[in-house]
Amino acid sequence: MKNTLKNPAVYLMFVLPTVILYGLFFLYPMFSSVFYAFTDWDGLNPAKFIGFDNFTKAFSDDQFHVAIWNNMSFLLFSVILQVPVIIVFALLISNVKKFQGFYKTTVFIPSILSTSVIGILWGFIYDPDIGPIAAFLKFFGVEPIYWLAESKWAMKAILITNAWQWVGFYIILILAAILAIPRDIDEAAAIDGATAPQRAWYLTLPLIKPIISVVVMLSIAGAMRVVDVVLVMTNGGPAGTTEVMGSIMVNKAIKYGEYGYGMSLAIIIFAFALVLTAIYQLTFGRTERIEY
Amino acid sequence: MPRTLRKSLPHIVLMAYVVIILFPFVFVVFSSLKESNVEISQAPFALPKSLYFENYAKAWTQAKIDKYFVNSAYIGVSSAVIGVLIAAGTSFALTRMKFRNSSKIVYQTILFSMLIPANGLFIAQYFLVSDLHIIGTHWALFWPYTAGALPFSVLLISAFMKSLPNELEEAAIIDGLSAVGLFARIVLPLTLPALVTVFIINFLGNWNEYLLANFFISKDALRTLPTGMVGFRDAYQMNYALVSTGIVFSVLPVLILYAFLQKQIIEGITAGSVKG
Amino acid sequence: MKKNLKVALTLLVAMSTVLAACGKNNNASSPEASPNESSSATGSESPGESSNIEPFTVSLRHIQIGEPQKFRKAILDDVVKKTEGEIPGLKFELDGIEDAVNRFTKLPAEMAAGNPPKIFDMFGGNADALKYAKAGRLLDLTPILDELGIKDKFLNVFSQFTLDGKIYGLPIGGNMEGVFYNTEIFSANGLNAPTTWDDLIKAADSLKAKGITPFATGSQAGWVPNMLVNTLIGRNVAANYPNGLTDGTLKWNSPEFVAAYATYGDWVKKGYFTKGELGKTYDDMLNEFAAGKAAMIFDGSWRSSAFKAGAVAANLEGKVGFIALPAIPDYKGDQTSINANYGNGYGFSSDLNDNELKAVTAFIKNLYNDEMQLRGLLEDGVLPSMKLSDEALANVTDPLVKQVMETMSKASSSFVHFDSVVQKAVNSETELQLQKLIANKATAQQVGDAIQKVQDSENAKK
Repeated sequence: MKNTLKNPAVYLMFVLPTVILYGLFFLYPMFSSVFYAFTDWDGLNPAKFIGFDNFTKAFSDDQFHVAIWNNMSFLLFSVILQVPVIIVFALLISNVKKFQGFYKTTVFIPSILSTSVIGILWGFIYDPDIGPIAAFLKFFGVEPIYWLAESKWAMKAILITNAWQWVGFYIILILAAILAIPRDIDEAAAIDGATAPQRAWYLTLPLIKPIISVVVMLSIAGAMRVVDVVLVMTNGGPAGTTEVMGSIMVNKAIKYGEYGYGMSLAIIIFAFALVLTAIYQLTFGRTERIEY
Repeated sequence: MPRTLRKSLPHIVLMAYVVIILFPFVFVVFSSLKESNVEISQAPFALPKSLYFENYAKAWTQAKIDKYFVNSAYIGVSSAVIGVLIAAGTSFALTRMKFRNSSKIVYQTILFSMLIPANGLFIAQYFLVSDLHIIGTHWALFWPYTAGALPFSVLLISAFMKSLPNELEEAAIIDGLSAVGLFARIVLPLTLPALVTVFIINFLGNWNEYLLANFFISKDALRTLPTGMVGFRDAYQMNYALVSTGIVFSVLPVLILYAFLQKQIIEGITAGSVKG
Repeated sequence: MKKNLKVALTLLVAMSTVLAACGKNNNASSPEASPNESSSATGSESPGESSNIEPFTVSLRHIQIGEPQKFRKAILDDVVKKTEGEIPGLKFELDGIEDAVNRFTKLPAEMAAGNPPKIFDMFGGNADALKYAKAGRLLDLTPILDELGIKDKFLNVFSQFTLDGKIYGLPIGGNMEGVFYNTEIFSANGLNAPTTWDDLIKAADSLKAKGITPFATGSQAGWVPNMLVNTLIGRNVAANYPNGLTDGTLKWNSPEFVAAYATYGDWVKKGYFTKGELGKTYDDMLNEFAAGKAAMIFDGSWRSSAFKAGAVAANLEGKVGFIALPAIPDYKGDQTSINANYGNGYGFSSDLNDNELKAVTAFIKNLYNDEMQLRGLLEDGVLPSMKLSDEALANVTDPLVKQVMETMSKASSSFVHFDSVVQKAVNSETELQLQKLIANKATAQQVGDAIQKVQDSENAKK
């Protein structure tokens, strides 16, 4: 009777499409990346094995150092600045009764839009001649700032755009966790005379620690693989100050035809994400285990 | 007084944030109705002097936004649907069928693959799709999009299927249903909420994807909205009013979809991220 | 409300199941969504006269997008239409993308993957045409030129497209890079035309003092400021520029090169260029000049078509002058030499079937002839790459185009742009380093050293 669920043909029919598709489009490219990362392949001529040359080249390239630092800025900006703000906003929204649905809906909007369209939109906002920020500053007699053209501002401008896009997404994540906490605990504490900030600090925060940990890990992964917002807004400029590892990878491979080198950068990006996630797991995220 | 202040303070802070979120959109909508750069730069915050709708007609025809829109919708929907169905089948096999050992291996592989940063594989995928001779066609996006969404979809749908009671299928099998029938007639309908969630997440991901779309498709007629919009900006960058119109066109459909499905979208994405 | 939503969702899923079924059918049966295959499928069989005409498409990549390129686009459109009329069943599939995106991103990737369009816009030189020719990606055009009998009609323009005596690309026209200046601004401010170095500097200083940008520039893409750098270097290097860079006889960090970079850096510091130039595009540059906010641009002669009736900067019609960069004191090269290029044109995929080859031949015949060359000159200000008769040339009435032609004929010698000679990695490094110079993050010497480092390692590869 139970044999129907032991039919290997049916089992294969259900499992194979996933295995084949994923294997072909993700596992195979991953292994071929690893292979070509050790060659000088330029896409036009046969590949030659060159050992670890691509990796040493990457780590001795000043431009790549800038990129690593920029990826780290993404990471630090999101973990140190964004995460606390996100938690505060999530707590605020969870505590209001009026307009809760409205806030929830609104803050999430930027996260459903295409990064490339957001890049175009913010390029416009930052425009020194006709953008609204310039007009606003002009009102106070401040000279327009060339947000995307000056090396000291460009990276910050991109970070703000990126935050604008993703903060709402994380707020909703944390908000969902807060709203899942049984009400009575909170109410009991309120009756005992605990103020809202006290309850947030001593009750809610410990309970949502696992989801904060998820947010941090998503931020790590996001910060390491960021690429399209940079390509669309500055393409790495001015003078290479906003390059990230991903944009160098894309440009080296496609623009300069250094495919072998580009693939070695892909592996470096992967390694960074893996190591940072592991470090986080072993230190702060230690007690948490994510259930699937 | 302090009590009302305490009550309204969160609203003040939150409203300020909402303004920051919405401001760029309002600005773009205003700009799209202005006649020229001059009008935008002289009064960026003002309402348009007169509603200048010509930009909309112009952007629609010159930017071929209609074409990009159809391409995005068609690839986004078809790949999300196929992805969901494949993932549902696999999830069914993994969670309900009695092949414990191999299911474990497949499941662990899928778990591990969640760690691979998809962007990093882009170059290798580029050569894969050209070797398969599908580069420059919509298949070059369809397959990677479908395949890329599988691990997450399988994890989410599996989690959902695991929670279905065993008695259901026992009864069904006694009634003479085959495994396929069980899947199609009993499990699939019961899993519908999870399927919708996964579908929406996959669809949004496909709709917004830029990197592959930019390099795997070169013909203008086949472009999707994100890349089409960047091309449009490059071609018309001196005319901000027109570019604003393009932005409105590309953002509006998503906003409308969001307005109708916001609950599903939010729940789906939170469920996904919390689990994944 | 909620119920409605549920119904809608159920419908959606039901619908998607149907769609999915369709999708699967699609997979199995015919690759409708892939025009690539449909174009090649018709290949081998040659249609017997008119009886059995099978439609086929030929992909054509051009860079004529946006307002400033509309004259060139019109010429291309006419050629496309004419060619389609001549070859039964032919349909061109036009794909227009931005110049730099095509040259530096799309085409290289397609070449690597082995699937370029059948006809495409291409630049000459080691980093582009010759590199692709070596890899066997380009069609040898010598037989076609012989068949059409037009090889000798071209001027001496094939150097950047020739490998082992075979021609792999056809330059559409020529250009020189020089100074466009707004005559109205100059006379309103009592300034002499910038024909001598002293007048140029004096004009820049006094314009700057009056709040007018001397030179509009858009350096977001490095090739734009590289135009001026190339001419500065060409004027300061006595011989063998730029070819000496790849064989090691010229060095980027030698005093001549560094002095050129120093001049550029000096101008940046003096505020001769647009503020925030690193965030400005090439179109912004024209825009600023057209709006009268800047008095000069250093640009290619192709820009002349922007300053005539019906063009993007029509308001400047008759108010723009063109000159070569004036002689620079203390510079060591030929001070009346100019930069002149026949660098941009069309290339063709080596992967063609018989029908496509016919289409390509007809396309070449229709684009490279006296009529179209003259139209390019008259309508678009592009200097011809083919020999035109004196009568034909007498048709030129546009004073700006005349000035360009005169300037060109007065030059004692010419040099090409280094980007058509040096390797791609070197060219990219020049762009990055120049931007660093502009951002005041590197000195002229550091710029030269950094570029030479890349040049050395690229030269060593051969």
